[in-house]
Amino acid sequence: MERFTVKAIQNMLSNKQINSAELFDLYSSRITDYDQTFNAFITNDVEPNVEYITDDKNQESPSDSALTGIPYAAKDIFCTQGIRTTCGSKMLEDFIPPYDATVIKNLKKQGAVLLGKTNMDEFAMGSSNETSYFGSVHNPWDIERTPGGSSGGSAAAVAAGLAPIALGTDTGGSIRQPAAFTGITGLKPTYGRCSRYGMVAFASSLDQAGILALSAEDTAIFLESMAGFDPLDSTSVEESVPQYSQYLEENIRGKIIGLPKEFFDGSLASPYETLIAESIDSYKKLGIVFKEISLPNIGYSVPTYYVVAPAECSSNLARYDGVRFGYRSQNIEDLDEFYRTNRQIGFGEEVKRRIITGTYVLSAGYYDAYYLKAQKVRQLINQDFERAFESVDIILGPTTQTSAFKLGEKVDDPVSMYMNDIYTISSNLAGLPAISHPIGFVEGLPYGLQLIAPHFKEHHLLSLTHQYQKVTDWHQITPKLSMSSESNN
Amino acid sequence: MAITKSDIEHLCGLSKLNLDDDEIPIYLQQMTDILEMIEQLQSADTDEIIPMAHPLDMHQRLREDTVIDTNDRDIYQKNSLNAEEGFYKVPKVIE
Amino acid sequence: MHWETVIGLEIHVQLACDSKIFSSASTVYGNEQNTQASLIDLGYPGVLPVLNKEAVMMAIKFGLAVDAEIADLSIFARKNYFYPDLPKGYQISQYELPIVSHGKLVITLDDGTDKRIGITRAHLEEDAGKSIHDKFSDTTAIDLNRAGTPLLEIVSEPELSSAKEAILYMQKIHQLVRYLKISDGNMQEGSFRCDANVSLKQKESTELGTRAEIKNINSFRFVESAINFEVDRQKEILEQGGSVVQETRLYDSDAKETRSMRTKEEANDYRYFPDPDLLPVKIDKEVIEKITASLPELFDQKVDRYVSTLSIKRVDAIEIAKNIELAEYFEDALNTYNGNPQLLANWMLTEVMAILNKDKIEIANLSITAQSLSQLIQRIDDGTISSTIAKNIFSQLIESEMDVDELIKEQGLEQISDTTEIEKIVITVLNEHQEQKDQYLAGKEQVLGFLIGKVMQKTQGKANPKLVNDLMVKILSNN
Repeated sequence: MERFTVKAIQNMLSNKQINSAELFDLYSSRITDYDQTFNAFITNDVEPNVEYITDDKNQESPSDSALTGIPYAAKDIFCTQGIRTTCGSKMLEDFIPPYDATVIKNLKKQGAVLLGKTNMDEFAMGSSNETSYFGSVHNPWDIERTPGGSSGGSAAAVAAGLAPIALGTDTGGSIRQPAAFTGITGLKPTYGRCSRYGMVAFASSLDQAGILALSAEDTAIFLESMAGFDPLDSTSVEESVPQYSQYLEENIRGKIIGLPKEFFDGSLASPYETLIAESIDSYKKLGIVFKEISLPNIGYSVPTYYVVAPAECSSNLARYDGVRFGYRSQNIEDLDEFYRTNRQIGFGEEVKRRIITGTYVLSAGYYDAYYLKAQKVRQLINQDFERAFESVDIILGPTTQTSAFKLGEKVDDPVSMYMNDIYTISSNLAGLPAISHPIGFVEGLPYGLQLIAPHFKEHHLLSLTHQYQKVTDWHQITPKLSMSSESNN
Repeated sequence: MAITKSDIEHLCGLSKLNLDDDEIPIYLQQMTDILEMIEQLQSADTDEIIPMAHPLDMHQRLREDTVIDTNDRDIYQKNSLNAEEGFYKVPKVIE
Repeated sequence: MHWETVIGLEIHVQLACDSKIFSSASTVYGNEQNTQASLIDLGYPGVLPVLNKEAVMMAIKFGLAVDAEIADLSIFARKNYFYPDLPKGYQISQYELPIVSHGKLVITLDDGTDKRIGITRAHLEEDAGKSIHDKFSDTTAIDLNRAGTPLLEIVSEPELSSAKEAILYMQKIHQLVRYLKISDGNMQEGSFRCDANVSLKQKESTELGTRAEIKNINSFRFVESAINFEVDRQKEILEQGGSVVQETRLYDSDAKETRSMRTKEEANDYRYFPDPDLLPVKIDKEVIEKITASLPELFDQKVDRYVSTLSIKRVDAIEIAKNIELAEYFEDALNTYNGNPQLLANWMLTEVMAILNKDKIEIANLSITAQSLSQLIQRIDDGTISSTIAKNIFSQLIESEMDVDELIKEQGLEQISDTTEIEKIVITVLNEHQEQKDQYLAGKEQVLGFLIGKVMQKTQGKANPKLVNDLMVKILSNN
């Protein structure tokens, strides 16, 4: 099945090889025909949410807006007006938001059209898309394996060609890790770059909306329209949005990339180490200079995250009580029992686990030792990055320890699941932008590499990735779709 | 710090969660593992470090005191199974 | 055993902002349920708070008026607990770094001495919605119109020693927030709510006793009886060797007693932490300077000014200044008035107050404008009319608005000040009332009033009373 990039689609539309309605139908049909294999979508029978698409297949598409005619999928954590938004949870199984998230509004304004809402770990808590109430997502490269999480549905959809591009969210790696597991490009922008209004909160100081795409070029095209200051979000930054696509060809020769020794401590198995080394060579050939750096406190990332994120989520999820929206048991007469039953039935195990953890670390007697301590360690990690960026432009590391693991392999061992995030979490803690792009295969499964930049320097991440993607083709290799009789690649 | 069954019950009380009796030992074990992992934080030297609550050193923006009048109550209450005469209903609260 | 009462008050003041503290919904009181609850107030998935500037400015105003420190950086924190009127399952409040701290208020006790009461802190937070238990038979109804209304919680040091002092403090805060125009202080509508922390300690001890919190006292009257009941209740417990339980109690105004609240509170661990959706609030020096410069004249300054520049008696100045709206009406009238301010003050405190009390209205609803009143009193002051006639005109003005001078002219109400004319009438009266004349001359001086009264009658009250008096005495003494 041919995967079209956004760039290619724009060309097809402007060359009138296809019009928006036909394009929308093409992807809708793919989803209908193939998604049973992957379960990447929770809601996929949506009507086009832009006015210019009509039933008249002969109508030409207006070409005035930046993303006119471009179909995209959105992780089911973004509120979409009139379209069910579940966050992968029974709690919101029937929830229909009366409003659009700001990033959805921004994309609508530029003419992009929503294909459907993708599957995700429940309330974005997970690294394998196995905690979804709507069933696990299957990796298009091997359906017995996870696509990663929590934006597993978005990653699988893009990797399988069911959507050209998709929105995800990244709180501890939930865009980058699935991108790495499915062989696509995933960007987490700087904290505050994209509005969080309408993006259901998991951990407010870590969550960021981002993009899963087939290339850096596509990512740049979408980010231009998605990003920007939002007065409805107090944590949104009044920093102007660059024309990211203009930066793709910027001169990267002489840029210095730091290699944290803590990321290269020999713990990666050698096939993965080899792929990283080869990519470093590719970058060197592009004129990049490498330097060893140290992020001494980076080892504390996972414990820090697993104090801060659950703490914030335990509070953010208190609003799900069945009173104004959400799952509600009938015939309960005691208020306490009412709350408890709604939440027992509405939430899955991982969510409950994190709520309990979060409640614990905030509770009287433990606040100082856990929450306050974690926020201090967070500062240490932030300072490590600040110091590092004084001597390097970008930091490079693996995205994950391995390629995609098998479904069911880690569900009973939360801590082992949490360790998946070891390379990605620190950039969320420091609010830094980071991207993952494919760098090859190990035993037929994709593997990715991560670049981290200082605040608001997404354009360097995009230019580096773009120029790497000009001299390599890992990002263009398409998975065989088992249901398809078409061959590909 | 070892977490006990009664701790779990207390936390469930605070966060309004129910766990079945057979779930509790599982959660207890998992929580023990998680807390053990988190304990690693204690070895970090954080003397004189200010806690960070936000990745960016920003201050709160202030909004003008203008009313934006939208009464969409009936649209919103479509989402609530138990709303009557414009009120939300909950089991009787005894004060 | 000598017990001393120790009281601290927590006063929740609804700030007079048009919109809510974190959303743009309206704060108007009394509209249909849930018509003023935006998605943010309802705690919908994905919504976020943005802070209302006016609420911050009002909090700063209050802080400056009580000589408090205004925090350079203050933080909003989440207070986490479950209750149906709290949609998010947490209240956004302030915990460790409130916007205002270390202030003071001076109250004047009945014996005239001043007592300084410390104000520990004042912080911003959002109000919860309302639970209505008697609307439906087997469920509680929730109205979230009030959810998100800006509140300023003002916490006093535990330095009040009696119910009387508590009332004085409460009244002073009430007056202050109205003076500053940061709240209408309407207790019936819930804009001004008071919780009292009451404990007893032994006279010589520095250790404070266990306190009970009495919640939601919504009138000044109730404060006194609630506190007194609670003090007696605790005294009885302690004198029998028991100990006071730290708990929350509700005041029952019908039974005139405090009762323990059965549910919630007990061991509620609120798990305060800084709200990650909000950033630290920075207050610049320039902002503080600007607000300081714009602070209105406060009660004490106003009273002093009335006394020193207007020569009004202090006791009268206090009465007028007590109510900022009354004071503003008075000052409005003074703007067009050239006479003796004390005269105008007298009228405010007698005739005007009488109407307000009789008709049970606020001065804002008085049908006589400040300008009309000013005109009227001016005409007494300049001798055009007598005060008796003025009272007549006043009651006419209540019924319908008229120009005072026109009215005087139309109804021929000018005072008679012509000496010759008055003399004639005096002589006529004396001739008609020989008996009283003789009585006066025999030494019965109080008869003078009767005779003057007769002159006033003959002139339909228009004769200049002082002149009548002087001429009457003169003529009688010439006899």
